[in-house]
Amino acid sequence: MRDLATLLFLGGLIFLLAAITGSLPFGHPPMLVGQAIQQVAAPEVGATNFVTAVVLGYRGLDTLGELSILFAAATAGGLVLGGVKSRGRAKAAPAAGFILRAGADVLFPLLLIAGLYVVIHGHLTPGGGFQGGVILAAAFFLPLLARPHESLSHTWLSVIEGLVGAAFIALGLVAMFDGAAFLTPLFDKGVLGELVSSGSLPLLYLAVGLKVGAELASLLMRLAQDDGAAS
Amino acid sequence: MTEVTLAVVLPLLGAFVLPLTRHTGVRWLAAVIGPALLAACALLLFAAWSAFDAPYTIALGGFAPPLGIAFYIDRLALLFALAVPLATLALWPAEAGADESVGRRQSLTLLLAGALSGLALSGDLFNLYVFYELAAVASYGLIVGNGNSPAYVAAFRYLMISALGSVVGLIGIALIYFKTGTLNLAHLSTLSEQLADPQGLAAFAMLVIGFGVKAEIFPVNGWVPEVYSAAGKRVAALLAGLASKLAVLVIVRVLLLVFPYDETRQLLLVLGIFGVAVGELAAWQARDLPRMLAWSSIGQLGVVFVAFSLPGTAGVIAGVTVAMHHLVVKSALFLLADRWDKAITRLRGAASTSHLGAALFVLFSLSLLGLPPLPGFWSKFLVLGGLAASASPLQLLAMGVILTGTVIEGAYLLRVIVMLYAGPDTATPVPRQRRGNLLSASLFALVLLAAAVLVDPLWQGIEALADRAVDTTGYQNTVLNTPEAGR
Amino acid sequence: MSAAIGLVFFIGAISLCVIGIAGIVLSRHLFRMVLALAIAEAGANLLLVLSGYRWDAVAPIVTGSLSGQAMVDPVPQAMVLTAIVIGVGVQALALSLVIRIRQRYGTLDMQEARQRMQDELDNDAGVTPPRSQERPAGERPIPAPAAVIDAGGRHD
Repeated sequence: MRDLATLLFLGGLIFLLAAITGSLPFGHPPMLVGQAIQQVAAPEVGATNFVTAVVLGYRGLDTLGELSILFAAATAGGLVLGGVKSRGRAKAAPAAGFILRAGADVLFPLLLIAGLYVVIHGHLTPGGGFQGGVILAAAFFLPLLARPHESLSHTWLSVIEGLVGAAFIALGLVAMFDGAAFLTPLFDKGVLGELVSSGSLPLLYLAVGLKVGAELASLLMRLAQDDGAAS
Repeated sequence: MTEVTLAVVLPLLGAFVLPLTRHTGVRWLAAVIGPALLAACALLLFAAWSAFDAPYTIALGGFAPPLGIAFYIDRLALLFALAVPLATLALWPAEAGADESVGRRQSLTLLLAGALSGLALSGDLFNLYVFYELAAVASYGLIVGNGNSPAYVAAFRYLMISALGSVVGLIGIALIYFKTGTLNLAHLSTLSEQLADPQGLAAFAMLVIGFGVKAEIFPVNGWVPEVYSAAGKRVAALLAGLASKLAVLVIVRVLLLVFPYDETRQLLLVLGIFGVAVGELAAWQARDLPRMLAWSSIGQLGVVFVAFSLPGTAGVIAGVTVAMHHLVVKSALFLLADRWDKAITRLRGAASTSHLGAALFVLFSLSLLGLPPLPGFWSKFLVLGGLAASASPLQLLAMGVILTGTVIEGAYLLRVIVMLYAGPDTATPVPRQRRGNLLSASLFALVLLAAAVLVDPLWQGIEALADRAVDTTGYQNTVLNTPEAGR
Repeated sequence: MSAAIGLVFFIGAISLCVIGIAGIVLSRHLFRMVLALAIAEAGANLLLVLSGYRWDAVAPIVTGSLSGQAMVDPVPQAMVLTAIVIGVGVQALALSLVIRIRQRYGTLDMQEARQRMQDELDNDAGVTPPRSQERPAGERPIPAPAAVIDAGGRHD
């Protein structure tokens, strides 16, 4: 009976969604805004990667909201999993074997470089703050797997989070002092395609990358260190 | 002119900076920074309100509207945006608990305030979605609060329902982008004939489910009684009083600008009728005060949706009146329910331990029921008048349901009042109200009484506000003709 | 041929959404609900990205070689970046809640956890839970178990 209900539900849902999305113009979207952005993004924003131009330029406020959501999730995670921070289980867990320890030591600088590369070149090639930030978080989480007793300090991570987030907003507020709107890109646009170009966009992405890295590393550490005590 | 964006940005900045201030060891700074920023936002918005003469647009980042994100500032947006910092200040989280937990809850409250201000001001569909998600994630954290076990389960269930709604809402946004290629509400408004087919209506229904979870709309309001019982009552007041109204505002903006059709209004009307019926009946069955207030808020939000489903200016006037009235009354009732969260039978004789609390409860109950000089009467009158005017069978049904709902409301509210004023039960004394809660509730009562006295100027103000709100051509012209640099 | 590929993308996105939504609605296990949420969000994001796809178009990045070649729409990609990060935050928070619920209530079943939550809330409020009327009162004599064996179906 329950399976029949499940099948009916699935069937109904598939039918509904297929009927609704069946006649959509797939492959020939109207592209009103997209077309206009493609024409003016290069001269206006100066980034070769148009997605970055949209993320940090045209829709910069969405990115600020996204950062805030990640911050809210990390803070709420701290509320849920924080509290009794006992290191008991971390000490009890033995250091991992030689392969993991050696591998973590080798991979850590490589991941750092890869992450920073992706972050800094966000305005030129596919990538950017969020993608690079996740790589950085993985870079900082790997040593924790190898040596559970040597974890990063949550205090430092939250300080980095806070400072970098405030820096993002400050970059946006600076434009307001000159009477322009919030998050107007600053500095000179430079030459299209160079590393130092498109104004303040690389700085914004750097802030985003560090913030995302710190937040995800802190979340992963909390999940890993939760020792299961009913607190 | 662009200072109004600070109303959104300053609370976010405060939330980021708050953990830093705790680490510097300057204790008073951490406690004061949140309320100070909220007060600054309130002053800013009040200045914008006083200096307001015509609606204008703020093009964020200096990029002109359909390409960039635009904030649209008219009196309706400013009214709701002004309510956010004021209500958040009145409902600022209490200082109980461990130091870290207090700081985190304050950060989450600031994030919630910033997100709700963004919901009031923004004119871009995806930006509204992002701010809505921010408000939702901040709410999950606030519900968990000090961490009693029921709160975890309630928060998880709310998270699941809300995330399901968000997935459906995102599919709806994808549908709209597929069909029109733009996300700006004004631009979509010019293209609204393309969205008048069944696909467009399906997209509207999906958006209603997406944004309606916070607005406690009918199919997705299963989370409400558990969350408002399990969470702290100040958090419940914030969510039930403030956040739900902003979610309703988003749905109404989309309705008025992009989908101003009879079918979409009927959808809201039907969902509103269900909400009123289910809410009031379940509130009558409830046996403790927070659960009763939770179901009652579902019922009242059903009335709000019925009000906004009326066509034309009358709908907006009725809707804004009911929504603002509910914001004031329900927040205050939840504050009073903080110490009175036991079964109703255990509240016997509470009036003798706290006279002010009981008197305030009576005042708010009478306003909720709709007793004449109080604003609740005007709100119900406007809704019923609007329904009677058009007299289609569905609207007559709505009228009947609301009137029956009022009778049932009277039954359960009077039951509580009788219990409050009965002779005290010396075996189990009722706890006293906290002074902070009484102070905030008294502030809400003052606002209510002021509204009762100033009916005429309020009426004219709301009428002008509503005229502007339904003027979609004016909206389109204001937003789409903005020069590039932010005004 | 390309139309078939496009259809595959579309069917894939819708199937993911359907599997995810069905999983959330029909599942009783907390962790499976979180997994279903991840799948549903992946499906919705895929659908959103597909709204910018154009046949025979390239990525929206200016490289020296092409000029005037059609590019896909960058706006849905920016939207999906945001949506993916939002999804990650929500899923991480959901997992933390699942961990805590498991610790506090010892169960990962949604119905059981809700029942325990309800009981705890009712106890705190001093409301007598309605279930107790269905259980036999303690003072009533229970029939001798010889002939009457109730197959323990009380606990739902």
